[in-house]
Amino acid sequence: MNVLQTEALTINFGGLKAVDEVDFAIKDEVIGLLGPNGSGKTTFLNLVSGIYKPTSGKIIFEQADITGAGPNVVREKGIARTFQTNRLCLNLSVIDNLLLGLYSQQKSTWWQAVLQPKRCHKELNRNIEECLEVLHHFNPQLVAKAYEPITAIPLIDRRRIEIARAIVGSPRLLLLDEPTAGLNTEETSQIIGDIGKIRNGSQKVSMIIIEHDMVVISRICHRVVVLNAGKKIADDCFGEVCKNEQVRRAYLGG
Amino acid sequence: MPKTALFSNTLVIAILVSFTGCMLLYIALVGPLIAALAVLVLVLGLMVTAERTGKVEPVYHAVEDHKGISLAVIILFVLALPFVLSNNYLLHVAVMGGIYSIVTLGLNFQVGSTGMVNFATAAFFGTGAYTSALLATKFGLSPWFTTVAGVVAAASLGLVFGYPALKTRGYYLSLVTIALQVIFTLMIINTSWLGGPNGIPGIPAYSLGGTSFRLPLAIFGMELPYQANYLYLVFILLGLALMAASRLHNSRTGLAWNAIEQDEIVAVTQGINLTKLKLLAFALGAAFAGLAGGLYGHYTSFIGVEDFDFSKSLVFICMVLLGGMDNAIGVVLGALLLTIVDEKLRDFADYRMLMYSVILIIILLSRPQGLLPKRIRRYQAAKSAGEAKVQL
Repeated sequence: MNVLQTEALTINFGGLKAVDEVDFAIKDEVIGLLGPNGSGKTTFLNLVSGIYKPTSGKIIFEQADITGAGPNVVREKGIARTFQTNRLCLNLSVIDNLLLGLYSQQKSTWWQAVLQPKRCHKELNRNIEECLEVLHHFNPQLVAKAYEPITAIPLIDRRRIEIARAIVGSPRLLLLDEPTAGLNTEETSQIIGDIGKIRNGSQKVSMIIIEHDMVVISRICHRVVVLNAGKKIADDCFGEVCKNEQVRRAYLGG
Repeated sequence: MPKTALFSNTLVIAILVSFTGCMLLYIALVGPLIAALAVLVLVLGLMVTAERTGKVEPVYHAVEDHKGISLAVIILFVLALPFVLSNNYLLHVAVMGGIYSIVTLGLNFQVGSTGMVNFATAAFFGTGAYTSALLATKFGLSPWFTTVAGVVAAASLGLVFGYPALKTRGYYLSLVTIALQVIFTLMIINTSWLGGPNGIPGIPAYSLGGTSFRLPLAIFGMELPYQANYLYLVFILLGLALMAASRLHNSRTGLAWNAIEQDEIVAVTQGINLTKLKLLAFALGAAFAGLAGGLYGHYTSFIGVEDFDFSKSLVFICMVLLGGMDNAIGVVLGALLLTIVDEKLRDFADYRMLMYSVILIIILLSRPQGLLPKRIRRYQAAKSAGEAKVQL
C-alpha cells in the first residue's frame, strides 16, 4: 500500500516547469531522490510538504487527497521534513526546538494554558520526556545540553536535532533534504547511522532523502528516483539506475 | 556575595531581590529625576555584573523557586504604598505605571514574542477607553460592565489590525500599523459623537458595594486618598495579567510565537497555524490594552484623543524595548521606570520629549537587549527530569 503517491504533479514558476508531471509512489521504504542541480528535487519536497501549491496534479497521502493543503495541515497529517540549510530556532533551547516538533500533537489551547496550568504542565512534562528520549537515542550527551541555546551546539548535533525535531511526532513519512550537506566524511557516516537507527526503531516511517553522496544513497536507500529538468527519468534500485543511459547523460552530459 | 550563600540560601536571595526591586522603584518614585535615572543605571549595572559573573540564572531560579515569598513581598509593598506616600500625585504616578504595565504586557505578545512591531497599541488602548467611556456616559451602564465591553471591542479591533500581519512582514507590517494608528486618531477627532477634539468628560468611577472609588478610602481609622482604591484595583489586575502572560509564555502558544519570530517557514512546517497564532497575538495584546484603557478612563474621568495618539504608541514600544523583549517581568519593570522618568521630566516643560528621547537612546545604545533580556525557558517539572537523566 502506498504511503504517498503523486499523480502528474506539476508546478510552473512563470514559464519554467520546475516539476513536470511527476508520478511518484512510496511504500514502507527509503527512497533516494537524485538529480543534477536545478532538477527539481527540493521543489518536489516543497510540493509534498505543502510549502508550494502545485499548478496541476494530485498528492495522495494514506488514501486521502492532500493537494493544496497548507504546510501545517500536512505536518498534522504526518509528513515531517528537514531543510537543506540548518533551520533551527537559534535563540531557543534544544528542548524547545524539539518541542516544536510535537506542536501539532499537543492538545492544550491558549486559554487552558492561562486557566488550567496543571493540565498543561502534565502534557508538557510528558512531551519533554518524549523529546529527551529521542534526543538520547541520537546522542546521549545532548540530553545534558537540553536547556542550552542552539548557538552553543556544534553543527553535527544541530543536524541531529533537526532530524529529531522531525521525528518526535512519529510521522508516517519523513522528508530529508540533504541531511549530510556541509559535513565531513566522519560526520556523514554518523548521520547515516542515525538515520538507520530511525528505521530500526519501533516506529514505521517511510523516507524520501535528497542526497548527492552516492555511497550514502547505496547504503540506505531501497529505491532511487532520478529527476532531470523537472521530469522523472528513472525509478529503480540503485544498481539499475547507475546503468541507466538517460541518468548517465543527465549527470555527465553528452 | 560568597558563592555558597547564593546556592544554599535561595530563600534569602528571593526575598532580597524582590525587596530591593520594590525599594529601588520606591526611590525612583519619590526622589527627583536624578534618583530615577540613578535607579535605572543601577539596575543596568547590577544586571551587567550579574551576567558577567554568571549569577543571573541562579538568582532567577531562586526567585522562581520561592515565587510565593517574592510575591508576598511585592504585595506588601503595594499595600503599604498609599500609607507611606504622603503625596497624591506620586500615588497617581504609581497608578499610571500600573495601567501602562498592563498595556506593555499585551504589546509584548506582538513585539517581544512574535516579532511583529506594532505601532498601533495606543489605538487599542483608546478603543478600550472610548468604548467604556461612551457606554458609561451615554447609556449609564455600570463601569465594570463597560470595561469588559471595552476589552471585547479592543480585542475585535486587534483582529482587524492583525489582518495585515498575515499579508505583510517586518517593516511593512510596522508601516501598516502606523497608518492604522493615524486613521484611529483622525477618526476620533472628526467624529462628533466620539467627543471629537474635546474628548469625553465626566466618565463615572467604579463603585463597589455602593461606595464610589472616587471617595477617600477609609481603612484602619485612616483616610487614604481616593487614588489608593485605583492603585489596589490596577495592581490586582496587573498581577493577573502578569500571571496570564507568563503562563502563556511557557505554553505551546508562547513557544509557537517564538518560532514564528525566528523563522515562519520552520514554524509552519511544524504544524503551527500562522494565521491563527498571529491573530491571537494581536487580539490578546489588544485585549490587555483595552482593559488598561477602560481603567484609565474611569480613573481620570476624562479622556481626550491626545492620550491615544502615535507618540503614545512609541512610548509603549520603548517600554518593551527598555524592559526586555519577551520577558514579562522585564516589560513591567520597563513600563514602571519609564512612567516615573516621564513624570519627573515634567520640570523640563517643552523639552520633555527631547530629554525622554535622549535618555532612551543612551540606554538602548548601551544595552540593546533591554534591562532583563529574553531567557531560555526553564520548565518547572522538567528540571528534575533533566537532572535525573544527567545523573544517569
